[in-house]
Amino acid sequence: MVTGMKLEVRDLTVAYDRADVLMSVSLEASGGEITCLLGANGAGKSTLARAVLGLTVARAGTVLLDGEDVTREPTHRIVARGVGVIPEGRRVFPKLTVAENLHTGAYLVRDRSRVSARFDEVCELFPRLRERLTQLAGTLSGGEQAMLSIGRGLMGSPRLLIIDEPSLGLSPRFVKENFQAIRRVRETGVTVLLVEQNVHQTLAIAQRGYVLSGGRVSAAGTAEELKQHPELIAAYFGGH
Amino acid sequence: MDPGLLAQHAFNGLMLGVIYALVAVGFTLFFGVLDVIKFSHGDVVMLGAFTALAVSAGLTGAGVMSHPLVLLAMLVIAITLMAVVGALLARLLVLPLRGAPAINVLLITLMAGTVIREGVRLFYPQGSNPKPFPRLLPGGTIEIGSFTLRHDSAILFVIGVAAIVGVYLTLARTRLGLAIRAVAQDPETAAAMGIPLTATVLATFAIGSALAALAGVVNGLYYSEISFNLGLLLGAIGFSAAVVGGLGNVYGAILGGFLFAALQTIGAVALPFASAYKDVFAFAAVIVLMALRPAGLLAERSAERI
Repeated sequence: MVTGMKLEVRDLTVAYDRADVLMSVSLEASGGEITCLLGANGAGKSTLARAVLGLTVARAGTVLLDGEDVTREPTHRIVARGVGVIPEGRRVFPKLTVAENLHTGAYLVRDRSRVSARFDEVCELFPRLRERLTQLAGTLSGGEQAMLSIGRGLMGSPRLLIIDEPSLGLSPRFVKENFQAIRRVRETGVTVLLVEQNVHQTLAIAQRGYVLSGGRVSAAGTAEELKQHPELIAAYFGGH
Repeated sequence: MDPGLLAQHAFNGLMLGVIYALVAVGFTLFFGVLDVIKFSHGDVVMLGAFTALAVSAGLTGAGVMSHPLVLLAMLVIAITLMAVVGALLARLLVLPLRGAPAINVLLITLMAGTVIREGVRLFYPQGSNPKPFPRLLPGGTIEIGSFTLRHDSAILFVIGVAAIVGVYLTLARTRLGLAIRAVAQDPETAAAMGIPLTATVLATFAIGSALAALAGVVNGLYYSEISFNLGLLLGAIGFSAAVVGGLGNVYGAILGGFLFAALQTIGAVALPFASAYKDVFAFAAVIVLMALRPAGLLAERSAERI
């Protein structure tokens, strides 16, 4: 078991693209829970994930990890605190092999025996990756790339895992497999921030969630509470 | 043609190819990590050669007569200093222009190259004149028929090839190499994996510039003469080699370096009227190649960089 990291976002404002902004968004995510961030396309979900990672500069507000202000830190320092990332669109390195991709995820881990132990764990989680270790990641199928992206995000033994749209462009079978993998990660104590458009499956594995719309938090609560608001959900996702 | 003479030309071509490949790899590494063309690269080659010359003059003046010692000192100091110069150029001129149009980086490094070149011309004693470069390697030869292999050339060839292999292994096998390749493919995701972008870029520029220094020293030892403007032609050749091979692809740059040398050699041998036209022939052939394969020879594979 690991002690999940506490993520707090306070009054975060980001002016990023004309279409994608955040206005004074606050949220919290804590250990052993999947906190989901729901919202339609362009609601600012990915912008929030990017701002937490320092990839997009916040105009105002703060991001705290375990109570420490990381708002102005460069991305690699934030990640070094124990953050794993499974980026939107998977973003595997196409011309690195599967094994090399996994090793980029453990770039900050200096202890080789820890890296190889973790490597074995990830291969156990996704046996198909083990069969393809020397293959270039760009030659994998979409589903396999998704596995690789998740495996890579786990390689650094994160205490906070940020997952951006894992279901995007995947067949229902792979979505189900990936969500099961995310649930298992949560059970090890890791804090999971799950950014998703897929409301039903997301609320099925999340403990709490926030709904973003137009760059603001329009609803928040436990997953059960959010499920009880079908009209709210319908308003933002067109009646799923 | 006499096989001995043919072997002679082939070896000369290979020797030039090593020098060009050393320069071309720098161009391609810089383009790989930052998508920029650093036009001061040829002048860093020249500055490396002059640094080595100054080290040699200093040590000889101080009474150090051992050739291996002087050679070792000039290599270590030139390579280290140029690595620092390369990282500084990246830090002060290239990185601050991130987000600016690539043409601005091209222009600012072109100007930096001019500053380096004119600086050497003005401030190195009699810098405008070609300088004899000390012959520090053993001068013997091996004769095989009409083929004469100079010991010093053979040693230089081995040093150059070893450096190219070393860079290849660094990129393929080390943690730094993994970081460089990841940054070249997707800097944002690399950062999200915890790879420090600035440090990786600076390391890349240091490696490329260290290779440039080595190319400068090898060039000086091979021709026994250097001049303040040697970086202009070597830079143009290295850049052409990198582009012909497929900019961003290290194998392409190495291939391009040897290809350019082969073209020059063929030009020198096959054009009976004057070997002085060998550069004209080689550059013309490069233009034709570029027209046929606009993205470079290893284009398919270079789409992904390094």
